[in-house]
Amino acid sequence: MALRIQFENNNEIGVFAKLTNAYCLVGIGGSENFYSTFEGELGETIPVVHTSLAGCRIIGRMCVGNKNGLLVPNTTFDTELQHIRNAVPDSVKVQRVEERLSALGNVIACNDYVALVHPDLDRETEEIIADTLKVEVFRQTIASNVLVGSYCVLSNQGGLLHPNTSIVDQEELSSLLQVPLVAGTVNRGGELVGAGLVVNDWCAFAGMDTTSTELTVIESVFRLNEAAPSSITTDMRASLIESMS
Amino acid sequence: MSPYNFKKIAVVPSAKDFIDIILSKTQRKTPTVVHKQYKITRIRAFYMRKVKFSQQSFHDRLTQILTEFPKLDDVHPFYADLMNVLYDKDHYKLALGQLNTARHLIDNVAKDYVRLLKYGDSLYRCKQLKRAALGRMATIMKRQASNLTYLEQVRQHLARLPSVDPYTRTILICDKTICSVTYWVFPNVGKSSFINKITRADVEVQPYAFTTKSLYVGHTDYKYLRWQVIDTPGILDHPLEERNVIEMQAVTALAHLRACILYFIDLSEQCGHALEEQVKLFDSIKPLFANKPLIVVANKTDILKLDELSADRRAVLKEIEENKDLLLLEMSTVTDEGVMEVKTNACEKLLGYRVDQKMRTKKVDGILNRLHVAIPKPRDQKPRPPCIPESVLAKKQAQSASNKRKLERDIELEEGDDYVLDLKKHYADIPEEERYDIIPEIWEGHNIADYIDPDIFDKLEELEKEEEIREQTGMYVVPKIELDDTMREIKKLALQIRHKKAIIKDEARINKQSRKPVMPRTSGAKVRDRSVSKLREDMSNLGVDMSHTDNANFTKTKQKYRAVATPTKRARMDTSENASTSLIRARSHSKPPRNEQGVKNIAVNEKRNWLKLLTGRLVRKSRKWVLKERPIDLLVTKCRKHLFTGKRGIGKTDRR
Repeated sequence: MALRIQFENNNEIGVFAKLTNAYCLVGIGGSENFYSTFEGELGETIPVVHTSLAGCRIIGRMCVGNKNGLLVPNTTFDTELQHIRNAVPDSVKVQRVEERLSALGNVIACNDYVALVHPDLDRETEEIIADTLKVEVFRQTIASNVLVGSYCVLSNQGGLLHPNTSIVDQEELSSLLQVPLVAGTVNRGGELVGAGLVVNDWCAFAGMDTTSTELTVIESVFRLNEAAPSSITTDMRASLIESMS
Repeated sequence: MSPYNFKKIAVVPSAKDFIDIILSKTQRKTPTVVHKQYKITRIRAFYMRKVKFSQQSFHDRLTQILTEFPKLDDVHPFYADLMNVLYDKDHYKLALGQLNTARHLIDNVAKDYVRLLKYGDSLYRCKQLKRAALGRMATIMKRQASNLTYLEQVRQHLARLPSVDPYTRTILICDKTICSVTYWVFPNVGKSSFINKITRADVEVQPYAFTTKSLYVGHTDYKYLRWQVIDTPGILDHPLEERNVIEMQAVTALAHLRACILYFIDLSEQCGHALEEQVKLFDSIKPLFANKPLIVVANKTDILKLDELSADRRAVLKEIEENKDLLLLEMSTVTDEGVMEVKTNACEKLLGYRVDQKMRTKKVDGILNRLHVAIPKPRDQKPRPPCIPESVLAKKQAQSASNKRKLERDIELEEGDDYVLDLKKHYADIPEEERYDIIPEIWEGHNIADYIDPDIFDKLEELEKEEEIREQTGMYVVPKIELDDTMREIKKLALQIRHKKAIIKDEARINKQSRKPVMPRTSGAKVRDRSVSKLREDMSNLGVDMSHTDNANFTKTKQKYRAVATPTKRARMDTSENASTSLIRARSHSKPPRNEQGVKNIAVNEKRNWLKLLTGRLVRKSRKWVLKERPIDLLVTKCRKHLFTGKRGIGKTDRR
């Protein structure tokens, strides 16, 4: 199930929301439209939490998490941390990280088992990631971009990468992550897939500009519908070639 | 979206307007004042500027026209052919070419005259040179009158052309319908209802002027892509050899589209054409669409199905059926049978054809990485299952359509402006009554978060247990004390004292609240203590003899006078009270009011008033009469002639 949404007329919804299999964090906006889209879709299953980090609402880019834990930058206020701890399930460990690259969402991409991190990330942070999120950590770049969190989106069932990722890189990353990967775009050709898309294992939210072709690629690679990821190379191939060239 | 926008071309003015626009622009945007006393270089520069400016304006405007009109060699061949049919390629090119030449000529004229102006030796000559230059430029433009009117017509027509995108996926529908009235038996239901069925029902299919006929363009969706559907009534409905040149060219324009062609035939022959005739037309236009996906659609199967055809009639279609490149489909737009199959087949065929073509070009190489799904090779035995909650799976299976959950958005709408975002609502672990406890961030100078201990609740429980034990052992029980009578009395008294004290305190507080100046308890009231009698008494007490001191100096106290200031206001004259109280009189009270001053008595005064009134009326009346009868008298007498004559300098005429 993939939905198109906007945050206050902004299509970069990955900036304002963080979606995992155990909880969903949503930035505090002027209206509840954005929040309620998440609430309607997920509210019965996982907590959907209004939050800010260091007083900012760009929480999707500032924190990183999965069903096991949540890492927030050290600029987070104590009250915000307490609020998050109160709201997310007890099984989720919330941890503050002293890290120079404080936009954790941009420098770390993870699912529940594996994480890709920025090559310059602290050794200590890497350990904290491994301990808190219970993942294997790999230092990687995506299409020679160091901001792995911005240029890829992962779930336990699949992943979407920067559109310029070569096939060799895709294969390598796929064997690291152990999920099927596809290079693609969101928001009508946007390369910043991390900013335009949030996913977990059973649903996805993309920016309002996302075309139907892009959305179908997303749905099939994250297994949100019946189609297997391989359908991208078979059924959708002609449409993709038609729409992209 | 179509890459061409012919609606944006600016209006082409007629030659006369063109010249007017440029000349008035030159007049408005260049300096207008020059005097012959000016230095000659300045005069030359003044006129050179005018010439150059108008040349530049002509140049810019012509360049705009030349760039805005589409170049026939650059546009898609579909549009190139179409424009050839509509506007005649040669004429069009010639018109634009001549405008280009005119532009060069104007540039040269300006260059020549600027050169000549350098030798102009007086204002008059320079002006004549400028006149000549602008005149020649205008003449050049005047010769372009016919070209400009032609281009304006072309522009108006181009703006009304159908917005067909020649690059996009197109389905072209054609058949043998009736073009002459005698054959008109049934209206052409099949095609237009097909286009209505497959394009969005609410989108009106619009007729566009296409050469002499109309073109219907609609859009439909298939496989996440948009498809353009074009219906061509009256363009492809008679054999090629029967067409005139213009019709032929229109058809070739259509042949440039990378489209899938649907050829509709009517098996029931209700359209007025025999089956053979329809097949013959198909054969004749087939070569136009060589190498393009072609589908023959047998329409109106609700009347006659393909299988129901007699053998000899079927033989007519044999060639089509046997041709492997062609596809023969059955459809009925009345019963909707086969409509979707026709659409799907057409789209699939065209998609395959276009993808094949694209795969041959280099375009696809850039996106090959995006057509690839990297499937992982297992690197260890560790399972990595997806984490989907049971409830989601159950919901997916149940497909519960009704969403009964009350969303935050609903609450926001319900409460309107009173809505307050409740952050603490979903703290599931914290009991309801504790959830909204206000916890300050900083308390008594300490950050609360620093003191939050993960096992604070365990510690609390421990403490509570200790407390309980203490209570049980009777640590907090207050021992009972027996009181005797004296003690009781003392207590009673003490209570009374306390009450009394409290009341006094309260009273004191209330009294204190008054803001009047407070007299300190230590100071007494101010007493006049220096007086003659007191002095006398004191002295006598001290033993001084005070008997003969009645006229002593100390008894002569100085009398106090009231300070008399001049009154700020003139005092009333007549009141006797005033007169008696004021010590100094400012002035006599005999002063009369100003209008009575200088008049002997009231009678005279009255008479004077009456006279004034009368003369005023008379004067006014006579003036009126003069104005009415001989107005010139009033005007003429105002100024003498010498005041009007002569050269006037500064100042008003009547003040000299």
